[in-house]
Amino acid sequence: MAESEKLLEVKNLKRHFNVGKPSEVRAVDDVTFDIYKGETLGLVGESGCGKSTTGRTIIRLYDATDGEVLYRGKNVHGKKSNSEMKEFNRKMQMIFQDPYASLNPRMKVSDLIAEGIDIHRLAKSPKERMEKVHSLLETVGLNREHANRFPHEFSGGQRQRIGIARALAVEPEFIIADEPISALDVSIQAQVVNLLKKLQREKGLTYLFIAHDLSMVKYISDRIGVMYFGKLVELAPAEDLYRNPMHPYTQSLLSAIPLPDPDYERTRKRQSYNPAIHQYAEGEEVTMREVAPGHFVNCSEKEFEQIQKDYKI
Amino acid sequence: MKKILEVSDLHISFHTFAGEVQAIRGVNFDLFEGETLAIVGESGSGKSVTTKSIMRLLPPDNSEIKKGKILFKDTDIAQATEKQMQKIRGKDISMIFQDPMTSLNPTMTIGKQIMEPLLKHQKLSKDKARERALKLLDLVGIPKPEIRIKQYPHQFSGGMRQRVVIAIALACAPKVLIADEPTTALDVTIQAQILDLMKELQKQIETSIIFITHDLGVVANVADRVAVMYGGKIVEIGTVDEIFYNPQHPYTWGLISSMPSLDSGDEELFVIPGTPPDLLHPPKGDAFAPRNPYAMKIDLEEEPPMFQVSDTHFAATWLLHPDAPKVDPPAAVKERKAIYQAKQAASLKGGQ
Repeated sequence: MAESEKLLEVKNLKRHFNVGKPSEVRAVDDVTFDIYKGETLGLVGESGCGKSTTGRTIIRLYDATDGEVLYRGKNVHGKKSNSEMKEFNRKMQMIFQDPYASLNPRMKVSDLIAEGIDIHRLAKSPKERMEKVHSLLETVGLNREHANRFPHEFSGGQRQRIGIARALAVEPEFIIADEPISALDVSIQAQVVNLLKKLQREKGLTYLFIAHDLSMVKYISDRIGVMYFGKLVELAPAEDLYRNPMHPYTQSLLSAIPLPDPDYERTRKRQSYNPAIHQYAEGEEVTMREVAPGHFVNCSEKEFEQIQKDYKI
Repeated sequence: MKKILEVSDLHISFHTFAGEVQAIRGVNFDLFEGETLAIVGESGSGKSVTTKSIMRLLPPDNSEIKKGKILFKDTDIAQATEKQMQKIRGKDISMIFQDPMTSLNPTMTIGKQIMEPLLKHQKLSKDKARERALKLLDLVGIPKPEIRIKQYPHQFSGGMRQRVVIAIALACAPKVLIADEPTTALDVTIQAQILDLMKELQKQIETSIIFITHDLGVVANVADRVAVMYGGKIVEIGTVDEIFYNPQHPYTWGLISSMPSLDSGDEELFVIPGTPPDLLHPPKGDAFAPRNPYAMKIDLEEEPPMFQVSDTHFAATWLLHPDAPKVDPPAAVKERKAIYQAKQAASLKGGQ
């Protein structure tokens, strides 16, 4: 992984809401990570931990309170001309969670998919535009006849495919998928995940995959970040994270997943996480530290020594 | 074990502009005292319709119970009047819904909502009902019940709201509790808490639970028995071990193989091909046949009956017919069957 190119760098990103008021919420609080070209980074955590806000801040749906997001070395936030914005929007696209709410019910599928093509003038003639729409529909496993229908005529899984086709229309390099499968049935989830993986192989896409279904995340991701209360608490290769969860929150999260195996379920012990166990002294520096190659844990110096002792390879 | 609820040959149809949708096409199952029966299946398989009909919550103007019985304590719920149902709902049979955000009334304090069934069914005085509501809130693990009882649903988080819904459902200590995807809208950590709570309360008040979900992990955690529904029918039913370790129906095989396990590698996820059957024109023969890689000629012509696998395990697939050819189930299922055989060998040894 070390040789591959950094596509996106998130540096000390903060996104606070209601700044300066008593109701200030630090939805994303000092988060730092990189995404390499061609990989899938999974982001997990419970609702309200800031994982969606992180995704939305990266794609500039929210302005950052502090910190920066660098895409191929260029800052995403800050002042930009329209043409710069357009250029950036083409590279980065988003797939949303709710396939029922994210498609305009009054637009035809062809217009929904071609919206990006029109904005970026990617088609020279109406004929080319329709050709692109048809080939996109086929890429995501729908038929060209579907182009003239409206969103209400489709099932949840099909709508999510339309959402994916829409994101692919501008030929992006990087896609943020914000819980793309949470609203779907198990059997449909597998279809959408297979599709995302296939597209990644064929088009060399990079994904930020946000979800709370941990077994799916493990399946699709190369590396996984775990968030808790606006902070990234652990970041590690997927396999390593499941084998050696080092942060107590990650351990509690993993111990809460029910698996389709009755024998395992009868013996599974759930751990709960209490942030008070850390007992950091004043002035103690709590940051992301590398406990093993590529495996980072948010901890203090003292905890770091303990974790290194506990870490099994 | 005593039967508490008996559903036999249930047929339910919806009348739509396009015609008659046969949502339930002959469902049979029993619910025993104190057990948890999980019903699994994809959207549109009829799991919610079955349970809603037990509560008689289906819209009266376009739905119809065509045939069949739902026996609860000598009463046939399928034939019961609205008046009779009002006495049963919330008292003997109650329900937890999927979305705790919408199943509570936003304009009533949660205290009032919990007291409602107590005042209606148990005819408690207001003070007594309040006292009981406080106890219930404490029971479902809501801290500071004296303060919380005066609050409105919007002041609660999702997990806390689901706890309130459970408190309401359990207020009258019902015999049967129907939980329709009670944890689907919740986070894994909260889900684990709610499942533990339900199991704990089930022991305390000795209720039977019908648990609807599409998450097989949750099923493995809570269920004693599992019914798999497809196309408006139960295609396989058995104990949780039988369904997870010795599944017989190709649809159950598909469901089990399409979930990634935590140690599955890079291989593509198994996908059940095709789409669910159109119940407006239910297919002749086995409804799963068009999507079934193991389908035989007879599957397209005649519906398979329930074949008995063990005392508790039944499956509707022609593959169990003595004349059927031996087929090779998917790898994930084979692994599970190996576990089952090892378990059975172990229990035989233990018995001797």
